[in-house]
Amino acid sequence: MKLEKPFISGLALFGGLLFLSPALYSIWLSFQTADAYYAGGLEFTLDNYGRAVGHYHFARYLLNSVIVSGIVTLGGITMATLAAYAFARFRFVGSDLLFGATVATLMIPSHISLIPNYLTLADAGLLDSYAGLILPALASAFATFFLRQYIRGIPRSLDEAAYMDGASSIQVLWRVIVPLSKPAILSMALYIFIGEWNSYIWPLVAIGKSDLYTLQIGLARLYRINPGEDLIDWPLVMAASTISILPVLLGFALVERHLVRGITMGAVK
Amino acid sequence: MLRKLSPYLYVLPILSFIAVFTYIPIATSINLSFREWDFLSSTKPFVGFDNYKLLLSSTEFWNSVKVTAIFAVISVPIRLALALVLASLLTSEKFASRMLRGAFFLPSVTSTVSIAVVFSWIFATDYGTANAIITAFGAEKVPWMQDPNLALFVIILVNTWKQIGYDIVIYIAGLQAIPTELYDAAAVDGGRRFHVFRRVTMPLVMPTTYFLLVISVIEAFQVFTIVNVMTDGGPANATDMIVNMLYRVGFTLFDIGTGSALAVMLFILLIALSLIKSRVLGRRVHYEA
Repeated sequence: MKLEKPFISGLALFGGLLFLSPALYSIWLSFQTADAYYAGGLEFTLDNYGRAVGHYHFARYLLNSVIVSGIVTLGGITMATLAAYAFARFRFVGSDLLFGATVATLMIPSHISLIPNYLTLADAGLLDSYAGLILPALASAFATFFLRQYIRGIPRSLDEAAYMDGASSIQVLWRVIVPLSKPAILSMALYIFIGEWNSYIWPLVAIGKSDLYTLQIGLARLYRINPGEDLIDWPLVMAASTISILPVLLGFALVERHLVRGITMGAVK
Repeated sequence: MLRKLSPYLYVLPILSFIAVFTYIPIATSINLSFREWDFLSSTKPFVGFDNYKLLLSSTEFWNSVKVTAIFAVISVPIRLALALVLASLLTSEKFASRMLRGAFFLPSVTSTVSIAVVFSWIFATDYGTANAIITAFGAEKVPWMQDPNLALFVIILVNTWKQIGYDIVIYIAGLQAIPTELYDAAAVDGGRRFHVFRRVTMPLVMPTTYFLLVISVIEAFQVFTIVNVMTDGGPANATDMIVNMLYRVGFTLFDIGTGSALAVMLFILLIALSLIKSRVLGRRVHYEA
Protein backbone atom coordinates (compact mmCIF):
# COMPACT_ATOMS: atom_id res chain seq x y z
CA MET A 1 0.00 0.00 0.00
CA LYS A 2 2.72 2.40 1.00
CA LEU A 3 5.31 1.34 -1.54
CA GLU A 4 3.60 1.88 -4.87
CA LYS A 5 4.72 5.19 -6.33
CA PRO A 6 7.78 5.14 -8.60
CA PHE A 7 9.56 7.52 -6.26
CA ILE A 8 9.06 5.14 -3.35
CA SER A 9 10.16 2.18 -5.49
CA GLY A 10 13.30 4.07 -6.43
CA LEU A 11 13.91 4.84 -2.77
CA ALA A 12 13.44 1.14 -1.91
CA LEU A 13 15.90 0.12 -4.62
CA PHE A 14 18.41 2.67 -3.34
CA GLY A 15 17.88 1.49 0.25
CA GLY A 16 18.42 -2.14 -0.71
CA LEU A 17 21.58 -1.36 -2.66
CA LEU A 18 22.88 0.82 0.17
CA PHE A 19 22.23 -1.97 2.68
CA LEU A 20 24.05 -4.51 0.51
CA SER A 21 26.78 -2.06 -0.52
CA PRO A 22 29.53 -3.59 1.67
CA ALA A 23 29.04 -6.93 -0.09
CA LEU A 24 28.62 -5.40 -3.56
CA TYR A 25 31.66 -3.19 -3.07
CA SER A 26 33.74 -6.22 -2.00
CA ILE A 27 32.82 -7.99 -5.26
CA TRP A 28 33.78 -4.82 -7.19
CA LEU A 29 37.14 -4.76 -5.36
CA SER A 30 37.79 -8.40 -6.25
CA PHE A 31 38.19 -7.36 -9.92
CA GLN A 32 40.82 -4.70 -9.22
CA THR A 33 44.58 -4.95 -9.05
CA ALA A 34 46.07 -4.54 -5.59
CA ASP A 35 48.79 -2.17 -6.79
CA ALA A 36 46.32 0.27 -8.29
CA TYR A 37 44.04 0.00 -5.27
CA TYR A 38 46.81 0.89 -2.82
CA ALA A 39 47.98 3.71 -5.07
CA GLY A 40 44.46 5.11 -5.10
CA GLY A 41 43.86 4.21 -8.75
CA LEU A 42 41.56 1.84 -10.57
CA GLU A 43 42.66 -1.02 -12.81
CA PHE A 44 40.68 -4.16 -13.60
CA THR A 45 41.91 -7.74 -13.68
CA LEU A 46 40.76 -11.35 -13.31
CA ASP A 47 44.12 -12.25 -11.85
CA ASN A 48 42.82 -12.30 -8.24
CA TYR A 49 40.48 -15.16 -9.12
CA GLY A 50 43.27 -16.97 -10.93
CA ARG A 51 45.58 -16.71 -7.95
CA ALA A 52 42.87 -17.62 -5.44
CA VAL A 53 41.84 -20.72 -7.39
CA GLY A 54 45.36 -21.77 -8.35
CA HIS A 55 48.12 -20.67 -6.04
CA TYR A 56 45.91 -20.40 -2.94
CA HIS A 57 44.06 -23.69 -3.54
CA PHE A 58 40.51 -22.34 -3.55
CA ALA A 59 39.58 -24.81 -6.28
CA ARG A 60 40.39 -27.56 -3.80
CA TYR A 61 38.50 -25.84 -0.97
CA LEU A 62 35.52 -25.38 -3.27
CA LEU A 63 35.61 -29.09 -4.10
CA ASN A 64 35.82 -29.98 -0.39
CA SER A 65 32.86 -27.74 0.44
CA VAL A 66 30.80 -29.20 -2.40
CA ILE A 67 31.57 -32.79 -1.33
CA VAL A 68 30.94 -32.21 2.38
CA SER A 69 27.83 -30.05 2.01
CA GLY A 70 26.48 -32.33 -0.73
CA ILE A 71 26.81 -35.50 1.34
CA VAL A 72 25.49 -33.83 4.48
CA THR A 73 22.47 -32.58 2.53
CA LEU A 74 21.70 -35.93 0.89
CA GLY A 75 22.25 -37.98 4.05
CA GLY A 76 20.57 -35.44 6.29
CA ILE A 77 17.44 -35.01 4.21
CA THR A 78 17.09 -38.79 3.77
CA MET A 79 17.29 -39.47 7.50
CA ALA A 80 15.01 -36.55 8.31
CA THR A 81 12.38 -37.64 5.78
CA LEU A 82 12.38 -41.24 7.04
CA ALA A 83 12.03 -40.14 10.66
CA ALA A 84 9.44 -37.46 9.84
CA TYR A 85 7.35 -40.08 8.02
CA ALA A 86 7.47 -42.46 10.97
CA PHE A 87 6.60 -39.72 13.47
CA ALA A 88 3.78 -38.37 11.31
CA ARG A 89 2.13 -41.65 10.37
CA PHE A 90 2.81 -44.35 12.99
CA ARG A 91 2.08 -44.64 16.66
CA PHE A 92 4.58 -47.00 18.19
CA VAL A 93 5.82 -47.67 21.71
CA GLY A 94 7.99 -44.70 22.64
CA SER A 95 7.09 -42.62 19.58
CA ASP A 96 6.19 -39.52 21.61
CA LEU A 97 9.32 -39.85 23.71
CA LEU A 98 11.58 -40.32 20.68
CA PHE A 99 9.99 -37.41 18.84
CA GLY A 100 10.40 -35.28 21.97
CA ALA A 101 14.05 -36.30 22.21
CA THR A 102 14.58 -35.30 18.58
CA VAL A 103 12.88 -31.91 18.86
CA ALA A 104 14.56 -31.17 22.22
CA THR A 105 17.94 -31.09 20.45
CA LEU A 106 16.81 -27.81 18.86
CA MET A 107 17.20 -26.26 22.31
CA ILE A 108 20.61 -27.77 22.94
CA PRO A 109 23.41 -25.36 22.04
CA SER A 110 25.91 -27.05 19.75
CA HIS A 111 29.04 -25.91 21.61
CA ILE A 112 28.34 -28.39 24.46
CA SER A 113 29.29 -31.19 22.09
CA LEU A 114 32.36 -29.48 20.62
CA ILE A 115 35.01 -31.04 22.88
CA PRO A 116 33.28 -34.46 23.22
CA ASN A 117 32.77 -34.78 19.45
CA TYR A 118 36.39 -33.91 18.89
CA LEU A 119 37.34 -36.73 21.28
CA THR A 120 34.90 -39.19 19.69
CA LEU A 121 36.30 -38.58 16.22
CA ALA A 122 39.88 -38.62 17.46
CA ASP A 123 39.23 -42.04 19.02
CA ALA A 124 37.72 -43.24 15.76
CA GLY A 125 40.71 -41.85 13.84
CA LEU A 126 38.40 -39.65 11.79
CA LEU A 127 39.82 -36.21 12.46
CA ASP A 128 41.27 -34.75 9.29
CA SER A 129 38.89 -36.65 7.04
CA TYR A 130 35.68 -35.97 5.12
CA ALA A 131 33.88 -38.38 7.44
CA GLY A 132 34.96 -36.29 10.42
CA LEU A 133 33.38 -33.23 8.88
CA ILE A 134 30.23 -35.02 7.75
CA LEU A 135 29.17 -37.38 10.54
CA PRO A 136 28.46 -34.86 13.35
CA ALA A 137 26.47 -32.67 10.94
CA LEU A 138 24.10 -35.31 9.55
CA ALA A 139 21.16 -35.22 11.96
CA SER A 140 18.81 -32.30 11.28
CA ALA A 141 16.18 -32.09 14.00
CA PHE A 142 14.67 -28.99 12.44
CA ALA A 143 14.12 -30.69 9.08
CA THR A 144 12.60 -33.68 10.86
CA PHE A 145 10.20 -31.47 12.79
CA PHE A 146 9.28 -29.36 9.76
CA LEU A 147 8.68 -32.36 7.49
CA ARG A 148 6.67 -34.19 10.12
CA GLN A 149 4.32 -31.19 10.36
CA TYR A 150 4.12 -31.07 6.59
CA ILE A 151 3.41 -34.80 6.18
CA ARG A 152 0.66 -34.61 8.80
CA GLY A 153 -1.11 -32.20 6.47
CA ILE A 154 -1.30 -34.81 3.69
CA PRO A 155 -4.64 -36.70 3.84
CA ARG A 156 -4.23 -40.22 5.24
CA SER A 157 -6.79 -41.53 2.76
CA LEU A 158 -4.05 -41.38 0.11
CA ASP A 159 -1.85 -43.73 2.19
CA GLU A 160 -4.78 -46.05 2.77
CA ALA A 161 -5.62 -46.28 -0.91
CA ALA A 162 -2.03 -47.34 -1.59
CA TYR A 163 -2.10 -49.91 1.23
CA MET A 164 -5.30 -51.33 -0.32
CA ASP A 165 -3.33 -51.84 -3.52
CA GLY A 166 -0.87 -53.91 -1.52
CA ALA A 167 1.87 -51.33 -1.06
CA SER A 168 4.31 -51.62 1.86
CA SER A 169 4.99 -48.70 4.17
CA ILE A 170 8.26 -47.82 2.42
CA GLN A 171 6.43 -47.83 -0.92
CA VAL A 172 3.81 -45.50 0.52
CA LEU A 173 6.62 -43.18 1.61
CA TRP A 174 8.32 -43.28 -1.77
CA ARG A 175 5.25 -43.24 -4.05
CA VAL A 176 2.80 -41.10 -2.05
CA ILE A 177 4.45 -39.02 0.66
CA VAL A 178 7.70 -37.96 -1.03
CA PRO A 179 6.09 -36.77 -4.30
CA LEU A 180 3.52 -34.75 -2.34
CA SER A 181 6.15 -33.28 0.00
CA LYS A 182 8.60 -32.25 -2.70
CA PRO A 183 8.52 -28.48 -2.04
CA ALA A 184 8.99 -29.02 1.70
CA ILE A 185 11.78 -31.57 1.16
CA LEU A 186 13.53 -29.27 -1.30
CA SER A 187 13.43 -26.25 0.94
CA MET A 188 14.69 -28.28 3.90
CA ALA A 189 17.47 -29.74 1.74
CA LEU A 190 18.56 -26.22 0.81
CA TYR A 191 18.28 -25.17 4.45
CA ILE A 192 20.64 -28.00 5.43
CA PHE A 193 22.97 -27.23 2.53
CA ILE A 194 23.30 -23.54 3.38
CA GLY A 195 23.88 -24.31 7.06
CA GLU A 196 26.62 -26.81 6.26
CA TRP A 197 28.21 -24.66 3.56
CA ASN A 198 28.59 -21.80 6.04
CA SER A 199 29.59 -23.87 9.06
CA TYR A 200 32.82 -22.74 10.65
CA ILE A 201 33.58 -23.80 14.22
CA TRP A 202 33.40 -27.56 13.63
CA PRO A 203 35.66 -27.65 10.52
CA LEU A 204 37.98 -25.30 12.41
CA VAL A 205 38.55 -27.85 15.18
CA ALA A 206 38.21 -31.05 13.13
CA ILE A 207 40.55 -30.21 10.25
CA GLY A 208 44.26 -29.48 10.44
CA LYS A 209 45.42 -30.55 6.99
CA SER A 210 45.06 -27.76 4.45
CA ASP A 211 44.05 -30.33 1.78
CA LEU A 212 40.75 -30.74 3.58
CA TYR A 213 39.94 -27.11 4.34
CA THR A 214 36.45 -26.05 3.43
CA LEU A 215 35.97 -22.64 1.79
CA GLN A 216 35.18 -20.99 5.10
CA ILE A 217 38.35 -22.24 6.77
CA GLY A 218 40.42 -21.46 3.68
CA LEU A 219 39.05 -17.93 3.55
CA ALA A 220 39.62 -17.26 7.25
CA ARG A 221 43.20 -18.57 6.93
CA LEU A 222 43.87 -16.57 3.78
CA TYR A 223 42.77 -13.39 5.54
CA ARG A 224 44.69 -14.13 8.73
CA ILE A 225 47.98 -15.35 7.30
CA ASN A 226 48.04 -13.15 4.26
CA PRO A 227 51.03 -12.69 1.99
CA GLY A 228 52.53 -9.23 1.84
CA GLU A 229 53.21 -9.01 5.60
CA ASP A 230 51.75 -5.73 6.79
CA LEU A 231 49.76 -4.96 3.65
CA ILE A 232 46.84 -7.34 3.29
CA ASP A 233 46.10 -8.18 -0.35
CA TRP A 234 42.44 -7.15 -0.07
CA PRO A 235 41.49 -7.69 -3.74
CA LEU A 236 42.76 -11.29 -3.50
CA VAL A 237 40.86 -11.86 -0.23
CA MET A 238 37.68 -10.44 -1.77
CA ALA A 239 38.00 -12.73 -4.79
CA ALA A 240 38.21 -15.69 -2.40
CA SER A 241 35.25 -14.35 -0.42
CA THR A 242 33.19 -13.98 -3.60
CA ILE A 243 33.98 -17.57 -4.56
CA SER A 244 32.72 -18.74 -1.18
CA ILE A 245 29.39 -16.85 -1.24
CA LEU A 246 28.28 -17.32 -4.86
CA PRO A 247 26.95 -20.89 -4.60
CA VAL A 248 24.81 -19.94 -1.62
CA LEU A 249 23.40 -16.92 -3.43
CA LEU A 250 22.36 -19.24 -6.27
CA GLY A 251 20.87 -21.63 -3.71
CA PHE A 252 19.01 -18.77 -2.09
CA ALA A 253 17.40 -17.85 -5.40
CA LEU A 254 16.17 -21.46 -5.57
CA VAL A 255 14.93 -21.55 -1.97
CA GLU A 256 12.86 -18.43 -2.45
CA ARG A 257 11.13 -19.87 -5.49
CA HIS A 258 10.45 -23.22 -3.84
CA LEU A 259 9.31 -21.65 -0.62
CA VAL A 260 6.84 -19.50 -2.50
CA ARG A 261 5.63 -22.51 -4.47
CA GLY A 262 5.24 -24.54 -1.28
CA ILE A 263 3.23 -21.80 0.35
CA THR A 264 0.91 -21.29 -2.62
CA MET A 265 0.36 -25.06 -2.92
CA GLY A 266 -0.67 -25.14 0.73
CA ALA A 267 -3.06 -22.28 0.12
CA VAL A 268 -4.74 -24.01 -2.84
CA LYS A 269 -5.37 -27.20 -0.85
CA MET B 1 6.09 -58.45 12.28
CA LEU B 2 8.08 -56.32 9.86
CA ARG B 3 5.14 -53.96 9.78
CA LYS B 4 5.45 -53.40 13.54
CA LEU B 5 9.19 -52.92 13.33
CA SER B 6 9.40 -50.66 10.33
CA PRO B 7 8.74 -47.31 12.12
CA TYR B 8 11.68 -48.08 14.39
CA LEU B 9 13.88 -48.69 11.36
CA TYR B 10 12.84 -45.30 9.94
CA VAL B 11 13.78 -43.36 13.07
CA LEU B 12 16.85 -45.42 13.93
CA PRO B 13 19.41 -43.64 11.69
CA ILE B 14 18.70 -40.12 12.86
CA LEU B 15 18.30 -41.14 16.48
CA SER B 16 21.66 -42.95 16.47
CA PHE B 17 23.37 -39.81 15.20
CA ILE B 18 21.54 -37.65 17.73
CA ALA B 19 22.53 -40.01 20.54
CA VAL B 20 26.20 -40.18 19.55
CA PHE B 21 26.74 -36.53 18.63
CA THR B 22 24.30 -34.68 20.91
CA TYR B 23 23.10 -36.59 23.97
CA ILE B 24 26.16 -38.64 24.93
CA PRO B 25 28.38 -35.52 24.56
CA ILE B 26 26.32 -33.74 27.23
CA ALA B 27 27.17 -36.53 29.67
CA THR B 28 30.80 -36.51 28.50
CA SER B 29 31.06 -32.75 29.01
CA ILE B 30 29.64 -32.97 32.53
CA ASN B 31 32.04 -35.79 33.36
CA LEU B 32 35.08 -33.97 31.93
CA SER B 33 34.13 -30.75 33.74
CA PHE B 34 35.02 -32.48 37.04
CA ARG B 35 38.41 -33.65 35.77
CA GLU B 36 41.77 -32.26 34.88
CA TRP B 37 43.03 -33.17 31.43
CA ASP B 38 45.12 -31.76 28.58
CA PHE B 39 44.10 -34.12 25.71
CA LEU B 40 47.38 -35.99 25.98
CA SER B 41 48.09 -37.42 29.43
CA SER B 42 46.83 -40.93 30.08
CA THR B 43 45.06 -40.07 33.34
CA LYS B 44 42.14 -37.72 33.95
CA PRO B 45 42.18 -37.13 37.72
CA PHE B 46 38.89 -36.20 39.38
CA VAL B 47 39.10 -32.69 40.83
CA GLY B 48 35.54 -32.04 42.02
CA PHE B 49 34.32 -28.50 41.47
CA ASP B 50 37.85 -27.09 41.05
CA ASN B 51 37.32 -26.17 37.38
CA TYR B 52 34.12 -24.32 38.21
CA LYS B 53 35.77 -22.54 41.15
CA LEU B 54 38.72 -21.59 38.97
CA LEU B 55 36.41 -20.12 36.35
CA LEU B 56 34.24 -18.23 38.80
CA SER B 57 37.31 -16.64 40.38
CA SER B 58 39.05 -15.73 37.11
CA THR B 59 38.91 -12.23 35.66
CA GLU B 60 38.97 -13.76 32.18
CA PHE B 61 35.65 -15.52 32.74
CA TRP B 62 33.93 -12.45 34.16
CA ASN B 63 35.37 -10.36 31.36
CA SER B 64 33.77 -12.63 28.76
CA VAL B 65 30.48 -12.60 30.68
CA LYS B 66 30.64 -8.81 30.73
CA VAL B 67 31.49 -8.55 27.01
CA THR B 68 28.68 -10.96 26.11
CA ALA B 69 26.22 -9.05 28.33
CA ILE B 70 27.18 -5.69 26.79
CA PHE B 71 26.79 -7.24 23.35
CA ALA B 72 23.30 -8.51 24.21
CA VAL B 73 22.13 -5.35 25.98
CA ILE B 74 23.16 -3.12 23.07
CA SER B 75 22.49 -5.30 20.05
CA VAL B 76 19.16 -6.89 20.95
CA PRO B 77 17.06 -3.69 21.45
CA ILE B 78 18.60 -2.11 18.34
CA ARG B 79 17.81 -5.20 16.26
CA LEU B 80 14.24 -5.50 17.49
CA ALA B 81 13.39 -1.80 17.14
CA LEU B 82 14.92 -1.51 13.67
CA ALA B 83 13.36 -4.77 12.51
CA LEU B 84 9.87 -3.83 13.72
CA VAL B 85 9.97 -0.43 12.03
CA LEU B 86 11.32 -1.88 8.77
CA ALA B 87 8.90 -4.82 8.87
CA SER B 88 5.90 -2.55 9.31
CA LEU B 89 7.01 -0.63 6.20
CA LEU B 90 7.49 -3.83 4.21
CA THR B 91 4.34 -5.88 4.82
CA SER B 92 2.91 -5.25 1.35
CA GLU B 93 3.37 -7.84 -1.40
CA LYS B 94 4.31 -5.18 -3.95
CA PHE B 95 7.48 -5.74 -5.97
CA ALA B 96 9.49 -2.98 -4.29
CA SER B 97 8.76 -4.22 -0.81
CA ARG B 98 9.44 -7.86 -1.68
CA MET B 99 12.74 -6.91 -3.29
CA LEU B 100 13.80 -4.89 -0.27
CA ARG B 101 12.85 -7.78 2.02
CA GLY B 102 15.06 -10.05 -0.10
CA ALA B 103 17.95 -7.57 0.19
CA PHE B 104 17.64 -7.48 3.97
CA PHE B 105 17.37 -11.25 4.18
CA LEU B 106 20.37 -12.02 1.98
CA PRO B 107 23.12 -11.57 4.62
CA SER B 108 21.45 -14.05 6.96
CA VAL B 109 22.04 -16.88 4.47
CA THR B 110 25.50 -15.66 3.50
CA SER B 111 28.67 -17.12 4.93
CA THR B 112 29.55 -15.46 8.24
CA VAL B 113 33.25 -15.82 7.46
CA SER B 114 32.82 -13.85 4.23
CA ILE B 115 30.85 -11.17 6.02
CA ALA B 116 33.49 -10.93 8.74
CA VAL B 117 36.27 -10.69 6.15
CA VAL B 118 34.44 -8.03 4.13
CA PHE B 119 33.82 -5.90 7.22
CA SER B 120 37.43 -6.39 8.35
CA TRP B 121 38.35 -4.65 5.13
CA ILE B 122 35.68 -1.94 5.52
CA PHE B 123 36.93 -1.15 9.03
CA ALA B 124 40.65 -1.61 8.36
CA THR B 125 42.61 1.38 9.62
CA ASP B 126 44.62 1.77 6.42
CA TYR B 127 42.93 1.37 3.04
CA GLY B 128 39.58 0.61 4.70
CA THR B 129 36.38 2.10 3.30
CA ALA B 130 35.08 3.55 6.58
CA ASN B 131 38.26 5.55 7.09
CA ALA B 132 38.35 6.53 3.42
CA ILE B 133 34.90 8.06 3.87
CA ILE B 134 35.58 9.90 7.10
CA THR B 135 38.99 11.19 6.01
CA ALA B 136 37.31 12.56 2.87
CA PHE B 137 35.33 14.76 5.26
CA GLY B 138 38.54 15.87 6.92
CA ALA B 139 38.39 13.63 10.02
CA GLU B 140 41.32 11.64 11.41
CA LYS B 141 41.65 7.92 10.71
CA VAL B 142 39.98 5.80 13.39
CA PRO B 143 41.60 2.51 14.49
CA TRP B 144 38.22 0.72 14.58
CA MET B 145 39.44 -2.76 15.35
CA GLN B 146 42.47 -1.84 17.41
CA ASP B 147 40.65 0.38 19.89
CA PRO B 148 39.25 -1.71 22.78
CA ASN B 149 36.35 0.72 23.14
CA LEU B 150 35.33 0.51 19.49
CA ALA B 151 36.00 -3.09 18.47
CA LEU B 152 32.93 -4.50 20.24
CA PHE B 153 30.70 -1.95 18.55
CA VAL B 154 32.04 -2.96 15.16
CA ILE B 155 31.25 -6.58 16.04
CA ILE B 156 27.73 -5.57 17.11
CA LEU B 157 27.23 -3.64 13.88
CA VAL B 158 28.34 -6.56 11.73
CA ASN B 159 26.16 -9.01 13.64
CA THR B 160 23.16 -6.68 13.32
CA TRP B 161 23.74 -6.35 9.60
CA LYS B 162 23.79 -10.11 9.27
CA GLN B 163 20.79 -10.91 11.46
CA ILE B 164 18.33 -8.08 10.87
CA GLY B 165 16.76 -9.73 7.81
CA TYR B 166 15.74 -12.75 9.85
CA ASP B 167 14.14 -10.50 12.47
CA ILE B 168 12.28 -8.61 9.74
CA VAL B 169 10.92 -11.80 8.16
CA ILE B 170 9.66 -13.05 11.54
CA TYR B 171 8.09 -9.67 12.32
CA ILE B 172 6.38 -9.56 8.94
CA ALA B 173 4.81 -12.95 9.63
CA GLY B 174 3.63 -11.60 13.00
CA LEU B 175 2.27 -8.41 11.46
CA GLN B 176 0.45 -10.20 8.68
CA ALA B 177 -1.35 -12.29 11.31
CA ILE B 178 -2.96 -9.18 12.82
CA PRO B 179 -6.57 -8.95 11.56
CA THR B 180 -6.98 -5.91 9.30
CA GLU B 181 -10.34 -5.09 10.96
CA LEU B 182 -8.38 -3.91 13.96
CA TYR B 183 -6.59 -1.35 11.82
CA ASP B 184 -9.85 -0.33 10.18
CA ALA B 185 -11.41 0.14 13.61
CA ALA B 186 -8.48 2.24 14.74
CA ALA B 187 -8.72 4.30 11.53
CA VAL B 188 -12.44 4.89 12.11
CA ASP B 189 -11.59 6.09 15.59
CA GLY B 190 -9.36 8.65 13.91
CA GLY B 191 -6.10 7.16 15.17
CA ARG B 192 -3.01 8.78 13.73
CA ARG B 193 -0.41 6.52 12.19
CA PHE B 194 2.07 6.64 15.06
CA HIS B 195 -0.77 6.25 17.54
CA VAL B 196 -2.08 3.16 15.73
CA PHE B 197 1.45 1.75 15.66
CA ARG B 198 1.83 2.21 19.41
CA ARG B 199 -1.67 1.19 20.50
CA VAL B 200 -2.51 -1.53 17.99
CA THR B 201 0.58 -2.88 16.28
CA MET B 202 3.06 -2.99 19.15
CA PRO B 203 0.85 -4.80 21.68
CA LEU B 204 -0.34 -7.29 19.09
CA VAL B 205 3.14 -8.26 17.92
CA MET B 206 4.26 -8.66 21.54
CA PRO B 207 4.49 -12.48 21.28
CA THR B 208 6.74 -12.07 18.22
CA THR B 209 8.86 -9.49 20.03
CA TYR B 210 9.17 -11.82 22.97
CA PHE B 211 10.17 -14.72 20.74
CA LEU B 212 12.81 -12.62 18.95
CA LEU B 213 14.07 -11.21 22.24
CA VAL B 214 14.77 -14.63 23.69
CA ILE B 215 16.14 -16.02 20.42
CA SER B 216 18.56 -13.13 20.00
CA VAL B 217 19.75 -13.26 23.62
CA ILE B 218 20.42 -16.99 23.14
CA GLU B 219 22.29 -16.13 19.92
CA ALA B 220 24.36 -13.50 21.69
CA PHE B 221 25.68 -16.24 23.95
CA GLN B 222 26.70 -18.28 20.91
CA VAL B 223 28.43 -15.66 18.76
CA PHE B 224 31.74 -17.03 17.61
CA THR B 225 32.59 -16.76 13.92
CA ILE B 226 32.52 -12.96 13.60
CA VAL B 227 34.71 -12.55 16.69
CA ASN B 228 37.08 -15.33 15.75
CA VAL B 229 37.70 -13.96 12.27
CA MET B 230 37.64 -10.21 12.94
CA THR B 231 39.39 -9.79 16.28
CA ASP B 232 40.09 -13.21 17.82
CA GLY B 233 38.75 -11.75 21.07
CA GLY B 234 41.09 -8.77 21.06
CA PRO B 235 42.22 -6.08 21.45
CA ALA B 236 43.01 -6.76 25.13
CA ASN B 237 40.08 -9.25 25.36
CA ALA B 238 37.60 -6.44 24.60
CA THR B 239 35.60 -8.71 22.27
CA ASP B 240 36.25 -12.03 24.02
CA MET B 241 32.70 -13.37 24.01
CA ILE B 242 31.93 -16.59 25.88
CA VAL B 243 32.16 -19.10 23.02
CA ASN B 244 35.42 -17.51 21.87
CA MET B 245 36.81 -18.06 25.36
CA LEU B 246 35.51 -21.64 25.27
CA TYR B 247 37.32 -22.26 21.99
CA ARG B 248 40.55 -20.74 23.31
CA VAL B 249 40.50 -22.66 26.59
CA GLY B 250 39.62 -25.95 24.91
CA PHE B 251 41.48 -25.85 21.62
CA THR B 252 44.46 -23.54 22.08
CA LEU B 253 45.21 -24.01 25.80
CA PHE B 254 43.97 -27.65 25.75
CA ASP B 255 42.50 -27.24 29.23
CA ILE B 256 39.69 -29.73 28.70
CA GLY B 257 38.37 -29.67 32.26
CA THR B 258 37.93 -25.90 32.40
CA GLY B 259 36.63 -25.76 28.84
CA SER B 260 34.03 -28.40 29.68
CA ALA B 261 33.01 -26.58 32.87
CA LEU B 262 32.48 -23.43 30.82
CA ALA B 263 30.47 -25.38 28.23
CA VAL B 264 28.28 -26.92 30.95
CA MET B 265 27.54 -23.55 32.58
CA LEU B 266 26.66 -22.02 29.25
CA PHE B 267 24.51 -25.06 28.44
CA ILE B 268 22.50 -24.70 31.66
CA LEU B 269 21.99 -20.99 31.06
CA LEU B 270 20.80 -21.46 27.47
CA ILE B 271 18.49 -24.36 28.33
CA ALA B 272 16.94 -22.20 31.06
CA LEU B 273 16.38 -19.40 28.53
CA SER B 274 14.83 -21.85 26.05
CA LEU B 275 12.48 -23.20 28.70
CA ILE B 276 11.37 -19.69 29.64
CA LYS B 277 10.73 -19.11 25.95
CA SER B 278 8.52 -22.16 25.45
CA ARG B 279 6.68 -21.65 28.77
CA VAL B 280 5.76 -18.03 28.23
CA LEU B 281 5.12 -18.39 24.52
CA GLY B 282 3.02 -21.50 25.13
CA ARG B 283 0.84 -19.51 27.50
CA ARG B 284 0.54 -16.63 25.03
CA VAL B 285 -0.65 -18.91 22.29
CA HIS B 286 -3.31 -20.38 24.56
CA TYR B 287 -4.55 -16.95 25.57
CA GLU B 288 -5.10 -16.02 21.98
CA ALA B 289 -6.69 -19.28 20.90
